[in-house]
Amino acid sequence: MFPLSSTTDTPTEAPRDTVREEALARVLGALGANVVDSLLKPNDDLWIRVTAESWRSTAETLKSLGFTYFCFLSAIDWLPSPFGKGEDDPTAPAVERDSTIKQGYTGGDTRFQVFARLVQPFTTLGINIKVDVDDAVMAVDSWSGVFAGANWHEREAHEMFGIGFNGHPDLRNMYLPSDFEGHPMRKDFPLLARIVKPWPGIVDVEPLPGDDSEEGEAS
Amino acid sequence: MGLVDRGRLPKPLTSLFNMGRSYSLWVYQWGLACCAIEMGAAFGSPRYDVMRLGVIPLPASPRQADLVVISGTVTDKMAPAIKRLYEQMPEPKYVISMGSCANCGGPYWDSYSVTKGVDQIIPVDVYVPGCPPRPEALLEGIVLLQQRIKNEDMGARWRGEGTKPMNIVDGESAEKGGVPVVVNN
Amino acid sequence: MTMLGDRQQLAYIASQAADARVNVELETEGMTLNIGPQHPATHGTLRIIARLDGEQVVWAEPSAGYMHRGYEKLTEVRTFPQVTALVNRIDWLGSFANEVPFILAAEKLMGVEAPSRAQHIRTILFELSRIANVSLFLGDLGVQLGAVTPVFFAFRDREYVLNLIEAATGGRFHPNFDRIGGLKDDLPAGFIEETRVVMKKLRTFCDQIEDLLFGNEIFQSRTRGIGVIPKDVALQYGLSGANLRASGVDWDLRRDQDIAMAWNKTEFKVITHPDGDSFARCWVRLQEVRESTKIVDQLLDTIPAGPVMAKVPKIIKVPEGEAWVSTENPLGEMGYYVVSQGDQGPFRVKIRSASFNNISITPWLLKGVYVPDIITILASLYFILGDIDR
Repeated sequence: MFPLSSTTDTPTEAPRDTVREEALARVLGALGANVVDSLLKPNDDLWIRVTAESWRSTAETLKSLGFTYFCFLSAIDWLPSPFGKGEDDPTAPAVERDSTIKQGYTGGDTRFQVFARLVQPFTTLGINIKVDVDDAVMAVDSWSGVFAGANWHEREAHEMFGIGFNGHPDLRNMYLPSDFEGHPMRKDFPLLARIVKPWPGIVDVEPLPGDDSEEGEAS
Repeated sequence: MGLVDRGRLPKPLTSLFNMGRSYSLWVYQWGLACCAIEMGAAFGSPRYDVMRLGVIPLPASPRQADLVVISGTVTDKMAPAIKRLYEQMPEPKYVISMGSCANCGGPYWDSYSVTKGVDQIIPVDVYVPGCPPRPEALLEGIVLLQQRIKNEDMGARWRGEGTKPMNIVDGESAEKGGVPVVVNN
Repeated sequence: MTMLGDRQQLAYIASQAADARVNVELETEGMTLNIGPQHPATHGTLRIIARLDGEQVVWAEPSAGYMHRGYEKLTEVRTFPQVTALVNRIDWLGSFANEVPFILAAEKLMGVEAPSRAQHIRTILFELSRIANVSLFLGDLGVQLGAVTPVFFAFRDREYVLNLIEAATGGRFHPNFDRIGGLKDDLPAGFIEETRVVMKKLRTFCDQIEDLLFGNEIFQSRTRGIGVIPKDVALQYGLSGANLRASGVDWDLRRDQDIAMAWNKTEFKVITHPDGDSFARCWVRLQEVRESTKIVDQLLDTIPAGPVMAKVPKIIKVPEGEAWVSTENPLGEMGYYVVSQGDQGPFRVKIRSASFNNISITPWLLKGVYVPDIITILASLYFILGDIDR
């Protein structure tokens, strides 16, 4: 384990993060069965995943527990991109890519997940909250009644991923012109400039300062 | 001027008018992104002062401007506004495209919302490459444009044929037959 | 009161009716004013659609997206060093500060930590970019309110800081100097003495701006009491940086979080202001520039010796995981949520930019203000378009 700051006194075998453990215990106590999974990385961060029905009540509960600072809200599409890194040769036959969906921390069952972050002000105790978005429904409840700042974030997530937010007062496009077709942040939305002409330079290998001849192995 | 319309303006008079025009350019700064800060430094800071070249960066509206410097990324949402403001400028008008985003899309060449170069919308006279180009590079672009203007055939422009050179050789004239100029950084 | 005769009554009623007709003809309610996207007063291409009733705003809505370049999608097809180069351009005035949270998140996932000399130099460059950014804000502030002179001071004094950044990194803006594991290169000779001289000049600049602008009666009457943001509303919207501290919230991520940078080795004051109006926001930023110069001086005194780059493999593949790092950037709290699946490039990067949250408060804040106050409020909230639109 590496220390995150140089003021850590003694590196221990299994560092305890009592502040976060306490916070997690309080959160789990308040939310109860709504939490499907949780993850605590000591001295790093805190994640929980809740059920879709309790998405809005989670926000209210966490706000009452002291997480009153709304950091952000967005979504993730866990499908591996069928276009890879956009480096395929357009004249060659299409490359078959693995399309198994693998979610990240605290798991998940669906392709799309909405995630948000709330922080306790004056400390840096933050909590990341994820929720599965069912493919058939493609909507979750809106947080704009609980945190007014979620309004714009949900508009952006809606236009980028196509996820609806029930109860949002004004769900229109944030960034894109109104005649834009498609949801750009989905993995199956292609970057056309890369498909038409692939990127010629694949990886830039920069010699480390003073170590021109050293060959490093990927760890 | 009837003489200019018929394209028969005597050369000394044309070169006098050209010199007058090139040293009294009014620049409409179209600052979009990071290049706008370098443009502001070139135009507004006491160090890279552009007014010493005769270029005044303070027109009140595009209808009073001769030159527009498009600096920064052009997105598809912004493109109609650029076209509209370019059309509001009176002839003779010149365009400098500053920065790699305005030249060709730049680092965002593969983005879904970026126009790959402002020359897809409006004709460009001078390209200034860089990300962002130094203020000196922009000043060199303006100097090259001034040389181009000094060589310009006003009759051709009045007839609507765009920018055409006359056959006066003006020292180190940097342009050949209407081809847009690129600054060597 | 004398009784009005019939003719006088009729004349009275006729004049009232004439007045009513004139009022109807002069009806100014519901005029829609479109500010931008190309406008000298907006810092870039922000478009504000305001519905006015006379001179007062009934409803105002910023329409963003004129600088939307699709960062989050572009990061998915680039490697980590390429993303570093791209990410510089989000907040284009204080560019180095954009790279740092991203690199720290990648380092967190990889489990490496930059050597302490690199952390120190990173912090110095971070504070220099904060000074470059906010000094332009102070100059621009005058221009928004009609005072043109401070902008020349700002550009002149900013050149000194940009010279320093250029000497160290090679680029006036967009240095692209951070690497996973440290920095690209070490500081050049003579940097430390030059920086000390420049910091003194910057302190003089702050005094000049305070003299020129902040004591001015017109400036005070245009900014005091305008655009007051109460504490709880600020937290709900996720306001950060000087905007939050000007509403009385004593929270600074440099002091309050443990992160692999060198701020915890310096002493500095966190400045707050109880009012929450435009003047408070401008004043807090001015004081923060002063504090930044003092932080840089302290850091210059204590740079440790050592390497600037940790041992990392040549081709970097970041292991699987998710990480969030945020820092106190010049505009506010900027953070990156990096999701990696073991590739050379990230799987998803969520960029939490400060100005997006800062400007999301404007529909609520601009109700009922006068038209010139729109400009004052936007100037004091201070945003960069690249930060809003990403």
